[in-house]
Amino acid sequence: MAALTQKRRGFTSAQWRDLRTGLFFISPWLLGFFLWTFYPLFSSLYYSFHRYDLLRPAVWVGLKNYVEIFTKDPTFWQVAYNTVYFVGFGIPLGVIGAFLMATLLNTEIKGRSVFRTIFFFPAIVPAIVTAMVWQYLLNVQYGAINAFLQGAGLPVIPFIANPGLAKPSLILIHMWAQGNAMVIFLATLQDVPRSLYEAATVDGANAWHKFRNITIPMCTPVILFNLVIGFIYGFQNFTLPWLLTGGGPNNATEFYSLFLYRNAFIFFRMGKASALAWILFIVIVLFTILLFRSSRRWVYYGGE
Amino acid sequence: MANLPNNGMSRRDFLRTTSMMLAGGLIAACTPSSAPAAGGGSSAAPAAEGGTIQYWFGWGGNYAGVAWDTLKETETLKGILGDVTLETKGSSGGEPLLTAVAAGTPPEGASNTQYLDYMARGVLVPVGDWVDSSDTVKQEAYLEGTWKDAFDREGVMYGVPANEGYLRYGLVYNAEMVGEAGLDPDTPPETWEECLAWHEAITKFDDAGNLIQVGMDPFDAMGGQLAIQDGFYPAVSWNFSWFDSDAGTFNVDNEMMVQAFNTMGEFYKIVGPDNMAGMRQVEGNGMWGGSYNNRVQAMMIDGYWRPGGTYISQPEVGENTRITWAPVPTDRKGVKVQGYGGHYVIFFKDAPNTEKMFQVSEFLNSNEACDIIFSNSGFLPGLLGYLSTVDENIYPGLKFYFDSQDTADEWSSPARCPMTDFSRTQWNELRESVYRDEMTAEAAATEFQSRLESEWEALGI
Repeated sequence: MAALTQKRRGFTSAQWRDLRTGLFFISPWLLGFFLWTFYPLFSSLYYSFHRYDLLRPAVWVGLKNYVEIFTKDPTFWQVAYNTVYFVGFGIPLGVIGAFLMATLLNTEIKGRSVFRTIFFFPAIVPAIVTAMVWQYLLNVQYGAINAFLQGAGLPVIPFIANPGLAKPSLILIHMWAQGNAMVIFLATLQDVPRSLYEAATVDGANAWHKFRNITIPMCTPVILFNLVIGFIYGFQNFTLPWLLTGGGPNNATEFYSLFLYRNAFIFFRMGKASALAWILFIVIVLFTILLFRSSRRWVYYGGE
Repeated sequence: MANLPNNGMSRRDFLRTTSMMLAGGLIAACTPSSAPAAGGGSSAAPAAEGGTIQYWFGWGGNYAGVAWDTLKETETLKGILGDVTLETKGSSGGEPLLTAVAAGTPPEGASNTQYLDYMARGVLVPVGDWVDSSDTVKQEAYLEGTWKDAFDREGVMYGVPANEGYLRYGLVYNAEMVGEAGLDPDTPPETWEECLAWHEAITKFDDAGNLIQVGMDPFDAMGGQLAIQDGFYPAVSWNFSWFDSDAGTFNVDNEMMVQAFNTMGEFYKIVGPDNMAGMRQVEGNGMWGGSYNNRVQAMMIDGYWRPGGTYISQPEVGENTRITWAPVPTDRKGVKVQGYGGHYVIFFKDAPNTEKMFQVSEFLNSNEACDIIFSNSGFLPGLLGYLSTVDENIYPGLKFYFDSQDTADEWSSPARCPMTDFSRTQWNELRESVYRDEMTAEAAATEFQSRLESEWEALGI
């Protein structure tokens, strides 16, 4: 009864003091959040309905930026296609690659920790270095791969110089740098109860059966996690294409974030860029919801 | 459970005291630090007393490095600056400058940037009054086009010509590479058609069909530009005005533009667009004129800086450099085209010490400064007085530009279009669509016109 009375009256003075102290301690984060996340987030929504170039006062244009993006800007649809292509192929392939790599590295092989280090290494290489290394490897004239082909008297492969090959090449690089996802998978694989495999062995299951019916289902929560993180990254893919191809050749690697950045900081179109940012935000949210909805059908949670 | 000994401080007291100490520390950390004591040996001391002015520019290399190191050591500049510190920032892209201007903390001056885009948005200081009282920056001191370029499309002067501002067009070629291809370097091409024949003769592939050497990339250097300071070569070569600055209208959906898309694209089709793109992706070849300096490309359209630029970095290539009139269409054979253009210093309203920066820009127009810049980077200003002191034969090929000053038939100046990077990006995109056969030249010209008009309307300038 006393507790009920207290609940009705709200906090006690001691609880208020604690709350104040707690808020005081987290105030640096709160301040940062409101200044650097909340305010810019809603400013961008405001500016998406304005003609705004960062230098002159914003002018209200209603939905004009959105209409322009969808109906007048021919580059937008190519950019959307490029991004969906990368997200649709690159991210699942990246997750599959990381999962398979983790599975291999989870087996009892000689020098396992060395291999784990080698496969994780690309994840800690800065993007600028990654771009330069792959530039040297894939270059059509002097790249290591093409130099080998040239040496063998074979025609070169224009990996990042051909519009048709540029996106797959970037996906290849993306797959190469899956160290983080691989480590997460590795931790999950080590957590799969041995007893399940032993029971399956007793039941006469072979390696494929165990992988298909035990390993994959037990790892589905982490597959979902890596997919969600991967898709968000995929939609915002910027650094590597910016450094490696600059959006070319012929706009083949002009991804959404590059296009957004170009509009904001090069074409002086911050209003349009804000609208692009909100479209991207909505797409990512919808995509994530869709993924979580679908997860009910394929993700297995052991605790349920 | 044993009671904890009472040390006179409760948990709450401890938290309160700690938080107060933290808050105090935070406030102390946010307080601006005081100026270092005089004689403390800190290089920041003069800056704290006299302040700092900043000058950002897009050039890197020798201009940003050795040229400015030398300029800063001159007694003249030291005298102008007094106790003010001049900070220069080279290779400064458009994005950092835009964000600095938007944030209200722009540098005092900038060069080699989107000049007209800033002029059109009211963030620059009009320099008319300063110029009126200047002994150095006078109209009669400059080439006609150099002076004209410092104004916006409404006729307000916002820039002080400086650093680089001489003539823009010439067909630069490596006589040795031309000779090796069995061509006569003494009878260079005059038209695009003749250039294409040379291009085919010089371009080499290995047995597997891989590109080894290219005759001419018509979009390298000045051939591919669409910029405030450099103009738009297709418009110069085919002789049409692509932007009417008075009316704010575009004219790129025309037969000349169609011809330009087709003719210039043909050079890529011969080599193969992927091969050309691959050649550009090689380290060093992607830069302006880099493949010419690396002796991978034999011809290109470029300005007066090429002889010096190449000779300083690759003397063996520079020695073989020859220059003739930039190509024109066959029906205009014999027409000698030349163009003005160049750079200036612009001054931002929100910067505190623009007047001092103006004095620095006056210094950049002195013979002393021009000499340092020319000898270290090959840049020449559009200053008549200084140009008369230059040895035209110092770099092979340079004389062509000096001679062209009196012999050119048609002169052009860059259009005053404050939509720089968007226009250039569309030109790059559409020409690639044409030479990759994804779009006809006619459709590209129509699309170009449509995109420029649509963007112009959206900008609300």
